[in-house]
Amino acid sequence: MADGEAAKFARRDVLKQIATVAGTARLSPALAATAGASAVATAAQAEAPAAAAPAAAVPAGYQSLSLDEAAFVEALVNVMCPADHLTPSGVDCGLATYMDRQLAGGFGQGERLYMHGPWKKGKPQFGYQLPLAPEQFFKIGLAAANAACRKRFNKNFDALAPADADAFLTQLASGKVTDPRVPLGAWFNELVYPLFVQACYADPIYGGNHDKVFWRMIGYPGLPATHQRDMVAFRGKPYPGAQDPKSIADFS
Amino acid sequence: MATKLNKRTVVIVGGGLTAALIARQLTAKGTDVLVIERGADRRNGAAAKIPSQRDELRWDIRGGLGQDWSVETYTARHSPKEDSLPARRLAAFLPGDGLGGAASHWNGFAWRWSEYEPTLRTRLETRYGKQAIPADMPIQDWGVTYAEMEPYHHLFEKLYGISGKAGNIKGELQPGGNPFEAPRRDDYPQPPLEPTQAGLIFKAACEKLGYKPFIAPSGNSSGAYTNPDGMRLGACQYCGHCEKFICEAQAKATPETLLYPVLFERPSFEMRLRCHVLGIDYDKQAKRAVGVRYLDLVTGEEYEQPADVVVLAAFTMTNTRLLLLAGIGAPYDPTTGAGAVGKNFCYQTNSAVNVFKKDWWINPFLASGSTGVTIDEFNNDNFDHGGLGFLGGAGISANLTNGRPIGNRRVPPGTPRWGTKWKEASADWYAHSFSMQAQGAGYPHRDNYLDLDPVYQDAYGLPLLRMTFDWRDNDMKMSEYCTAKIAEIAKATDAAIVGPAAPRKAPFDTRVYQSTHVTGGTPMGTDPGNSVVSQHLQHWDAENLFVVGASVYPHNAGYNPTALLAALALRLGDDLTGYVERPRML
Repeated sequence: MADGEAAKFARRDVLKQIATVAGTARLSPALAATAGASAVATAAQAEAPAAAAPAAAVPAGYQSLSLDEAAFVEALVNVMCPADHLTPSGVDCGLATYMDRQLAGGFGQGERLYMHGPWKKGKPQFGYQLPLAPEQFFKIGLAAANAACRKRFNKNFDALAPADADAFLTQLASGKVTDPRVPLGAWFNELVYPLFVQACYADPIYGGNHDKVFWRMIGYPGLPATHQRDMVAFRGKPYPGAQDPKSIADFS
Repeated sequence: MATKLNKRTVVIVGGGLTAALIARQLTAKGTDVLVIERGADRRNGAAAKIPSQRDELRWDIRGGLGQDWSVETYTARHSPKEDSLPARRLAAFLPGDGLGGAASHWNGFAWRWSEYEPTLRTRLETRYGKQAIPADMPIQDWGVTYAEMEPYHHLFEKLYGISGKAGNIKGELQPGGNPFEAPRRDDYPQPPLEPTQAGLIFKAACEKLGYKPFIAPSGNSSGAYTNPDGMRLGACQYCGHCEKFICEAQAKATPETLLYPVLFERPSFEMRLRCHVLGIDYDKQAKRAVGVRYLDLVTGEEYEQPADVVVLAAFTMTNTRLLLLAGIGAPYDPTTGAGAVGKNFCYQTNSAVNVFKKDWWINPFLASGSTGVTIDEFNNDNFDHGGLGFLGGAGISANLTNGRPIGNRRVPPGTPRWGTKWKEASADWYAHSFSMQAQGAGYPHRDNYLDLDPVYQDAYGLPLLRMTFDWRDNDMKMSEYCTAKIAEIAKATDAAIVGPAAPRKAPFDTRVYQSTHVTGGTPMGTDPGNSVVSQHLQHWDAENLFVVGASVYPHNAGYNPTALLAALALRLGDDLTGYVERPRML
């Protein structure tokens, strides 16, 4: 076994130990020293109150979003997921990072999307009909929403007070914010909103749901989900594993 | 230029469940069989191994195992008068792609259909009179009987190790089983799965109302099982990653787990993976299928594959499309009712009611794909429709299949869509709520059909299939009736909150997953005037061409389609064994 491999397996063992103790006991300094930064962050997160959790452990920086776009998205996720007794802020949960990575990746580039013309408007039940890959649509919609926001409030979305921003999103969702070229209702409801929910609840390997904070919040135990015995033992009873969810990284 | 290959005896299009069953029967007698499948063998890939198997975003939300819509999608419209639009990322149903097809990521519900289903027209006319079936509802008898299919149901259940509790053995009702079940010769090969807490609550409420709930028959294995071919299943792990996922535990009966490994060992069997069939070559004069043309997706080369017998065993939609592309048989015309290719395209009319209670521990993540508790009192024609103004019905169940958190968190009505209150509601109710569902029959309607789209094409320049489909009056009345029945059951639980009863209403929405159970397009029957294939699934206009799958169903029931199409495939395999020796109209 190469040294790299050995180190990887050692780290995996340590992570498993941490996963076992996280939330129940303080991490020993020796264990923390060998565990690496992300594991320490994991353990620290479990110790700290939710609202004071450290920033996302995924690498900083955006692959797709410009600074201005990032400001919009960060404001959006912080309004939709404010720091409260349940989770840290949207940005600290990694929600903006999730959206950025999805837009930069296959989804954003139109993977699995039928992209042949002609392009026609139609009934909403037939779904998305624009000649834009999702990343392009996201950014064009973002710019249009920001323009509509400036018209109403005389400032960009990221400069709004949280209550105004929340009200503006409600208006967007109900189709009351319009643009002559961009269907902003569908943009919010069929692109932005699903990305937001995915950012909260997808496996943390995608950059959101940092430290499984949303899984812990609802009590979803995650992996490995081999529940043959649990099915009977915990039918109709609280499931202990729900307090300490495991994700793909914990088994990698 | 396509390269012409040597002729083969039986060439099957599509490497899913029906192909495997046909090939099993044929190769047992040494008949030469070639299966052509566009997708890959995924048994050792990321989809089939922990931890990557447990990835809701990749396999469920992004549909990682399904058809690639950038290559081929369907267009849709609600009536024959409208222009169609392509579903650019179809969500309503999920055709498969790869070894095992959609059957590799099924949920496992393994229903035999009611005894009267293959003779539904006769049944309804006898019970309600000749006028009972509306003129725009082309229900027809299938040309087979349940009794003819029973041996093949029996064989399929043994091959798949189905778990369940018999309700009717040789006409004797069995306590704990489905009292409406078609008569079986014996009990299921394995005992039923463990019910979920949701199932137990549903069961108690149903019993309070005088119904007879039972645990649905399932292809999720309740224990360790060895089938007649020596293939093994492990016990289901209730992992909550079943439908839309490949089972990593060898605990879900699928073609690639139980059937193809046997076939790969047989000398007269060959499968070509990553080969996309572009068309059937048809000799109109001789009324024969000459063979198929396909594109090798690895090399990019095109091939002509001649065959003595061609079998279309692809997904419902593809079977119809290949016939239309080749010009085999008359396309259905909704204005005259003439022609049958594309006719009787049906779906399922589904609805649900959510229930919530704080001291219930539902734990939705403890679930198999088909751990359902069901009642059949309001399914199909199991109840008297006199005076109701509609035909058909729905199986009503608490089928809790998973607690995957992106798509399966229930919150009470009135919950905001984001913010602290949204998070609170998700946290409060995730483990304490479930859904009761109706899976409703879909009866044919004159204006629900399939044809080739005049405008949109696939990645290879061939016309896409167009669905003209909407929920019609019968569907909506039936859904209203059955959804009200769910609401009564919901109220008979001690739920603190009962969500709104929302019956299925037009317009049909391609953006929302409803069911992969689309049926019809190549209906079977006894009359070439209203069917594409005979009762032996033989094409009326090409003696050596056979079609199998849910595409041959003249109507859809409130049951999952898998077990019946499997039985039809096994029967076809036996029929073909005889046909190959002595070709003729069967």
